[in-house]
Amino acid sequence: MTPQLSWYLALSAVLFTIGVVGVITKRNVISMFMCIELMLNAVNLTFVAFSSFFRDLSGQLFVFIVMTVAAAEAAVGLGIIIAVFRNRESLDVDDASSLKL
Amino acid sequence: MDELKHLGLLMLGILVAFTVVMTLVAYTVLAERRVLGFIQGRLGPNRVGPGGFLQPLADLLKFIFKEDIVPDKSTRFVYFLAPIIATVAALMTMVVYPFGPDVNLPLLGTVRMVITRFDVALLYVLGVTSVGVYGIALAGWSSNNKYSLMGGLRSAAQMISYELALGLGLIGVVLQSGTLDLQSIVEQQAGHLGISGWNLIWVQPLGFIIYLIAAIAETNRVPFDLPEAETELVAGFHTEYSAMKFALFFLAEYVNMFTVSMLATTLFLGGWNGPFVHKLPWLGVFYFLGKVVLFLFLYIWLRGTLPRFRFDQLMTFGWKYLVPAAMVNIVLTATLQWLGAFDYLAGFLKTQTGWGG
Amino acid sequence: MLGLFFILFAGLAVGCAISLVVQRNPLYSAISLIGVFIALACLYVTLAAPFIAAVQVIVYAGAIMVLVVFVIMLLNVEEEERRPLRLRSLIPIALMLASVLFAEAVFIIYFVQANPATPTRNVSDVGLTSSIGGGLFTTYLLPFEVTSILLLMAIVGAITLARTGGLLSPRAAVVPGDVVLAKEMLDREKYIDVLTPVSAHTTKEAKDLLGIEDEGQSPKT
Repeated sequence: MTPQLSWYLALSAVLFTIGVVGVITKRNVISMFMCIELMLNAVNLTFVAFSSFFRDLSGQLFVFIVMTVAAAEAAVGLGIIIAVFRNRESLDVDDASSLKL
Repeated sequence: MDELKHLGLLMLGILVAFTVVMTLVAYTVLAERRVLGFIQGRLGPNRVGPGGFLQPLADLLKFIFKEDIVPDKSTRFVYFLAPIIATVAALMTMVVYPFGPDVNLPLLGTVRMVITRFDVALLYVLGVTSVGVYGIALAGWSSNNKYSLMGGLRSAAQMISYELALGLGLIGVVLQSGTLDLQSIVEQQAGHLGISGWNLIWVQPLGFIIYLIAAIAETNRVPFDLPEAETELVAGFHTEYSAMKFALFFLAEYVNMFTVSMLATTLFLGGWNGPFVHKLPWLGVFYFLGKVVLFLFLYIWLRGTLPRFRFDQLMTFGWKYLVPAAMVNIVLTATLQWLGAFDYLAGFLKTQTGWGG
Repeated sequence: MLGLFFILFAGLAVGCAISLVVQRNPLYSAISLIGVFIALACLYVTLAAPFIAAVQVIVYAGAIMVLVVFVIMLLNVEEEERRPLRLRSLIPIALMLASVLFAEAVFIIYFVQANPATPTRNVSDVGLTSSIGGGLFTTYLLPFEVTSILLLMAIVGAITLARTGGLLSPRAAVVPGDVVLAKEMLDREKYIDVLTPVSAHTTKEAKDLLGIEDEGQSPKT
């Protein structure tokens, strides 16, 4: 049987929820970053599913822009992570919870 | 029933292509050793069969029977996963190359000589080669050896830098052909005698050179093979691998060479086009494989001739010279396309009639 | 056939996502995330969006995750330790709220499906490269150009964050007790006129000689 729109939406909701659980639970800042990427991808799946079922181009173009923004965010975010690591010697977000070194 | 027949044909195509590619790769290893030997003034391996003809079989037996050493403190899962990723990513690109024009088989009707044909074939090839970087980076990491790690990271950095130049060099061809589908690009390169329509000659000389240099760097071959050179980093990222896993990395490297040669042939040298190919479709396969073998010979020739780059020279060359040159190529191609220069040239260089075209 | 592919790739995506959250070693999490991206790319192909699928593999699995894997390897990130479970009293409340959220999601999805306005088959042709290219350069040209400026900002930002040497003025004087950057020591000819040699035995003497005000706290020697 052909997959329906609701199947894709359900899958996207499940992936998003797993991403949220990861962001809340993880202590390592790189793992948190990866869970954020998972959330972005779940949203991408929703956009592409709607674009495909309603034959509208704007969904896929928005996904294109989201991917570009995610790439830019990855570059700058990892630069920040490395800079923070240089100063604090630890990748634990609990250790970075105050502004004082 | 129709779907089942389609699926069966697909499986048969994959089997045939896999066999052909594996055999050619095995004999490329032998050819490399012999040709390198001739360049260096000695004979290569010539004892195992007449002229060393059975040497790949001997190598295979050696790899199977060798003891499999696993380093003690390595992470086991990643250690086993890395050669698998490298090999699978190298082999997955085979499905989109057109080996020849449509042929008429006695039992199966008209068969297309390409395993599958879809809209974004060129992007698919670029994507799969991007995933192949992981095999090397994870191999360097999981060996728990600082030389392997450095070799792996250097090799991965080199590969992702030259992937950019590779992709940009291909955009000129895509701009001119108007499609990402490899079979269409090949069909558009028909010309007088099957030669004059090639993209190399009249569209993309600069693009071809950029692509070739980027491809040699992408496959970690001389002169860009510092990350795996024996005198520098022992054997780079595959130091700690032995027996069959090393054989998989070796295979992955040669299949990668094969892949970029096939891509260069398809995009720049006209794929299966050649004299009289429309009268006798099976000739297309021979033309295609012949051109690929020409590229492999070029790789081996370069290995015997050139010294290798230092790593910072390599990265400087990739980012500061090759990427700007590729962008200049794109701008030039786009301008000429807009001015209609290619349509004018196509008027007398490309034809579907004449001698087989 | 398509349904079978959907179930396969959806299962793969959910399995890799759960593995991403459960694994404690960040490198295994990164490998799981690559698995999720490839499964999602296959799902995009079932949705007749091959261009987005290829771009997903190239950008996400082939570039962003390579960057993340590099960072994990260079910073030598270790496994997270297991933390003991605290606040056990909140678990029933969490379960109740989660079931409320789940019920809401099922409700919404059921009514999306039951609505007659929802199309049921997706034989679409907007996913082809030509239509995306056409849309990108005509209707959506402004977002495209703004994205290029965004990428330029990202490049400049990343390079600025990665600079290690400080931006020291060449007129800075050196007093005993200062921590000296190696650059000044290497470039002695350049700085030899600017650095006035002082003969002092304590930091306070040197400061008086050079005319630097006392900031109160002495530097760490």
